Amino acid sequence: MVDRLERLTDLVLVLLRDHRPKSLREIASEVPGYPAQEGEARRQAFERDKRTLRDGGIEVTAVPIDGPEQVGYVIRPEDYYLPDLDLAPDEQAALNLAVAGVHLGDPSGRDALWRLGLPASAGARPVAELPALPALPVLHGALRARATVSFDYRGERRRVDPAQLRFHGGWWYLVGHDLDRDAPRTFRVDRMDGDASADAPGSAVLPDGFDPDAALPDVPWQIGEGALVTVSVHVDAALAGLVTDEVGESALQQRHDDGSVVLELEVTNIAALRSWLFELGEHAEVVGPEEVRDGVVSWLEAMAGRT
Amino acid sequence: MTNRADAGSRLLRLLAVLTWLARQGRATVSELSERFGLDADELIADLELAACCGLPPYSPDQLMEIIVDDQEVIADLGTELARPRRLTTAEGFALAASARAILAVPGADPEGALGRALAKLEAVLGGRGLLRVDLREPAHLALIRDASDAGRQLELRYYSASSDRESTRTVDPVSVRLIEGHWYLDGYCHNVDGMRRFRVDRVSEARLTGEPAAHHEDDLTPGPGDGVSSTSEAFVPGPEATVAHLAVDGDALWITEALANSSSEVLADGRTGVTLAVASTVWFGRLLLRLGPHAEVLDPPELAETGRKAARQLLVRYRGRAAS
Repeated sequence: MVDRLERLTDLVLVLLRDHRPKSLREIASEVPGYPAQEGEARRQAFERDKRTLRDGGIEVTAVPIDGPEQVGYVIRPEDYYLPDLDLAPDEQAALNLAVAGVHLGDPSGRDALWRLGLPASAGARPVAELPALPALPVLHGALRARATVSFDYRGERRRVDPAQLRFHGGWWYLVGHDLDRDAPRTFRVDRMDGDASADAPGSAVLPDGFDPDAALPDVPWQIGEGALVTVSVHVDAALAGLVTDEVGESALQQRHDDGSVVLELEVTNIAALRSWLFELGEHAEVVGPEEVRDGVVSWLEAMAGRT
Repeated sequence: MTNRADAGSRLLRLLAVLTWLARQGRATVSELSERFGLDADELIADLELAACCGLPPYSPDQLMEIIVDDQEVIADLGTELARPRRLTTAEGFALAASARAILAVPGADPEGALGRALAKLEAVLGGRGLLRVDLREPAHLALIRDASDAGRQLELRYYSASSDRESTRTVDPVSVRLIEGHWYLDGYCHNVDGMRRFRVDRVSEARLTGEPAAHHEDDLTPGPGDGVSSTSEAFVPGPEATVAHLAVDGDALWITEALANSSSEVLADGRTGVTLAVASTVWFGRLLLRLGPHAEVLDPPELAETGRKAARQLLVRYRGRAAS
């Protein structure tokens, strides 16, 4: 009995080396380990091997051929090889360190280095951990292929021509042009429901001059579709310095003698502002406008009254 | 019978070993074991199997030329096997995201080796400028990172959200890492005689004490739950932590992403049950304020009142003065 790993390895070599599609009968005669009898068992064994290869990123293509079987199989070199990256030794080492230094929750980075022939040496210390989300490779693939993507978001199907995938403030965002709203939009990738799907390559056409860098604001309370409100927030001396560092000196409206500050924030997403504010506990308070302050008070009263 | 995933991952690993060998010509068994995370016996078995693979008629001249002895592997595999292979979408993403993240670390040189490698990669993969990573740069990050790299002791003025107090700490830095979008310093805190994790953006002052760091990663063998973890939770529950169960609706689901050490399950009523460790009721109260009506504490009973108390305390402040 031939080991399945041996059969798979021979299969890859045979399908790759001749650049000529081969019928299943030819394959079975050239690759040891398939059932000797023509028939369903052989077909199933081959289909299973094809799936295993596809799961591993190795595409076996079926093409019409002359002869009784009519279908031939080949691994096309362009599906299997990358053009040589021509990386200098220091560039290889830098990529190795980058993959070792960033944890993305799965071994894809290591696998990538394996495929490039640059296996990592001893592990470097991790520097950053970024959240891994199943939609990210799909969205990145769609960006590379310039393909329109579709996904469910807040109970609606959205169709978006993607412009950028961006990690910002601890979250992954997709920045793009929303086809149904005909406007730039930003989506939190972790809030997409279910799978994202990509249309055909080249289907996405961004408006002229679309600037993804401008589409995503720096602070969470500006990532939203609400009307713009200027909100004043009073922050105690205890956290005044840290908070002013975070939002920037330009937001500083007033500095009191007791060390506390009043900041003016431009807000389009009140929920995000509230969430940020409550992290500061009793050290921060909305002072105006009244409707925003009342909104915070109602939120707190609803919680305080709950049994 | 070998299952499919197993044979598949063995194949990918073997192809990776062969690609490396095709490029190198020879390598020691121990180096291959280390680079590919394999024990030597497995490696030798797979390579001996590969030496029987090739093209029909599988005569010696058509087999892969691999010679394996106890110490070393010598291979003559030709140029085809040495070529880099196409990446899956997940691998392409992982490589680009890792490189972008390292280049976003304050102080990284965009023109350096990594920047050049990424440019070559993006030229082949497509996708120049399509991926962007922004990492925050808190005021004292550079000094703290430098101190950590150089093994220098730090004195920090630090605001702790769990105790809601600012204090001065003497810390031997061990590592500085970005987790969940925030920079953290792990270090030995002399004030409490133990390992602690500090959020760098809550450091309001930092200076070098002039002393070398007396504690290093290597001589710290943390006991269970004392604040050091080989895994990466941004919030490491100590021995005093309580396990809390929440039920949250869709608008509060973000906490399962934001808290790396939480776990979740779907409840019978359609809400999501979230289990998390609570080491500080101050912190937990503020979390509940943020979640508001979208979360309910199921257990333990002594934490059920935390959100209500936090809301009442904050209301005192709002009622203390009229809106301006």
